[in-house]
Amino acid sequence: MYNTQITRMFGVQYPIICGAMMWLCKPSLCAAVCNAGGIGNLTAANYETEDEFRAAIRETRRLTDKPFFIGITLLPSIRITAEHHKMYVKVCAEEKVAGIEFSGTPLDKVAGMEAVELLKKAGVKLFHKVGAVRHALHAEKIGFDGVYAAGIEEGGHPLNDDVTTMILTPRMVESVKIPVVTVGGIANGRTMAAALTLGAQGVMMASRFIATKECEVHDNIKQELIRRQEFDTVIYGKSIGLQGRGLKSKVIEEVLAIEARNGGFEELIPLLAGQKVKQAWETGDVDYAPLMVGQSIGLISDIPTCAELLERMASEAKEQLARAGKLCGNEAQQNSSYKEQL
Amino acid sequence: MKTRLTEMVGIKYPIVLSGMSWISVPKMVAAVSNAGGLGILATGPLNAAQTREAIREIRKLTDKPFGANASLMFPGAVENAKVLLQEKVPVINFALGKGDWIVKEAHKYGGKVFATVVNLKHAKRAQDFGTDAVIATGQEAAAHGEDVTSLVLIPHLAENLKIPVIAAGGFADGRGIVAALALGAEGVAMGTRLMTTKESPLHENYKRMTQEKDVYDTLFSKRFDGILCRVMKTDAAKKAVKTGLNWPAAFFNSRDIAKQMGIPYFKLFIGVLLSGYKNARQLAYMANAFKAIRVATEDGDSKTGVLPVGQSQGLIHDVPTIAELFERIVKEAKDAQARVNAALE
Repeated sequence: MYNTQITRMFGVQYPIICGAMMWLCKPSLCAAVCNAGGIGNLTAANYETEDEFRAAIRETRRLTDKPFFIGITLLPSIRITAEHHKMYVKVCAEEKVAGIEFSGTPLDKVAGMEAVELLKKAGVKLFHKVGAVRHALHAEKIGFDGVYAAGIEEGGHPLNDDVTTMILTPRMVESVKIPVVTVGGIANGRTMAAALTLGAQGVMMASRFIATKECEVHDNIKQELIRRQEFDTVIYGKSIGLQGRGLKSKVIEEVLAIEARNGGFEELIPLLAGQKVKQAWETGDVDYAPLMVGQSIGLISDIPTCAELLERMASEAKEQLARAGKLCGNEAQQNSSYKEQL
Repeated sequence: MKTRLTEMVGIKYPIVLSGMSWISVPKMVAAVSNAGGLGILATGPLNAAQTREAIREIRKLTDKPFGANASLMFPGAVENAKVLLQEKVPVINFALGKGDWIVKEAHKYGGKVFATVVNLKHAKRAQDFGTDAVIATGQEAAAHGEDVTSLVLIPHLAENLKIPVIAAGGFADGRGIVAALALGAEGVAMGTRLMTTKESPLHENYKRMTQEKDVYDTLFSKRFDGILCRVMKTDAAKKAVKTGLNWPAAFFNSRDIAKQMGIPYFKLFIGVLLSGYKNARQLAYMANAFKAIRVATEDGDSKTGVLPVGQSQGLIHDVPTIAELFERIVKEAKDAQARVNAALE
């Protein structure tokens, strides 16, 4: 049994959360993670209308009776506007979803404290994905229930402070009182064991969930994640002030070439458009659009079901922690507390 | 603590002092070894005679196991490595080059050899030619890491190697050590944490700055010494990275290096020229970096000095003795385990 602030807060079996992934975190994958004992994610930006978004929440609820997160990215985008952000918040409150993973700009700065109050009143647990202690302190101050400490190894948009998980998680744990969930570099039991040791109350991972049976993505993509290694991702987008980490590919080489010659935003936009990513996931063409995966792909070597994955991680983490205990000479402790549950 | 590392070299704690130029000097190496860790002498700034003298000094100060490094990219490193072999140094830690001949010679007298690596390919090659352990450097480490971070690199190596993995980069306390062991490592290398101790010869100015600076106060760039290098973010470091390679300065600084290493300048100059443009450029970079690091560590100069540090500086809040540090680490490791065990019940 795992008993952390996260498992208690949501009443789940494992402190393992799926991170938001546009086009991939749909009802089917979300429910699969939940039914496997973790916490799934339904990513709001998949849906442009209120009806579609609400229907997706209800669809997920048909597939699982467990709690799940909604992923909302508060960043300026061409397709998803401030109006969408407001709509997502409203629907989440009305539907009383279990939790929201926010990323990007703080919620109070985008939608005011009234949005925070509205969600809290509806019982929605609020988490913000942050890359720096100062951002975590802000989330804590405005009443958030937890933070995701996102290290530079994560796929997506890691903060340009460039701090790695190994450093960021303990630094954050010593700085805030609300639970810290580790993001970036997590893909197996070993990495989860390390995060818990550093003081995290849970882990969040995304890339690892792409290579599961339940993820609706072209099989080429899953195979590519097995084939590629931890050094096969790269940071891009520094020149436009929004860095991202993605799989090394022809399109990212092109992006980096444009950046190297100080090409502007206009030149980059066609290469970075979210619609192209949707097509790449569906057709399995890794060179067509930036696929934002993290360094943890180096730790992916198979395509299990979500249930197999979570069960394996949970037992591997326990084994690794028992090993660490033994090496440190803390066997007495291990005998009393570990043996009975291993 | 008992791991494959502690058993292999006969030390009490699975903690290795990184070989840091002007910091991992004989006194510091002996202090770490006497406290139960494994001190590693930095031979980068030494010539062959100085290296021999340093080894003998260490032996006067401790009867515990110790090591010495050889950064094979530096001029004079091969000669230094030969001295280490002649002196039968218990552990030789090579980096930035191929050390198969060191392994062969060291094994003849029962010495152990560690290879510093940044990826699985290099680690496997080192394992294949008989290296006894690898020191895996994550991105967060001081000086020369690459993009892959400790959290991802360590488990990947541990799962794919037979020889022990020593984790370097991001480790400064007891919870970090337990995390490293949980990832599959057999020990950790500490640079930034150990340089901020009472026994460390690092200048007081920088011991203070290491405590003041936070986790994000480092720069990671190829424009300091020619390969990816992490240094403390100071005005001097920003300037060095902005300027990039300064050839005239390299010319002057390389004269100092020749003098220090006891090599006739003419010989060094011709040797560098003959090594090709790419290598000459690299050595020119290193010549300037050498100077900047020396004035930081020895003189405490924050105007022109530059100090390699890891992101772990943000986790460092005091200047203990090495013995105090190791005792605390053991206690923190126990606490971290007790806490995690409670979460598993």
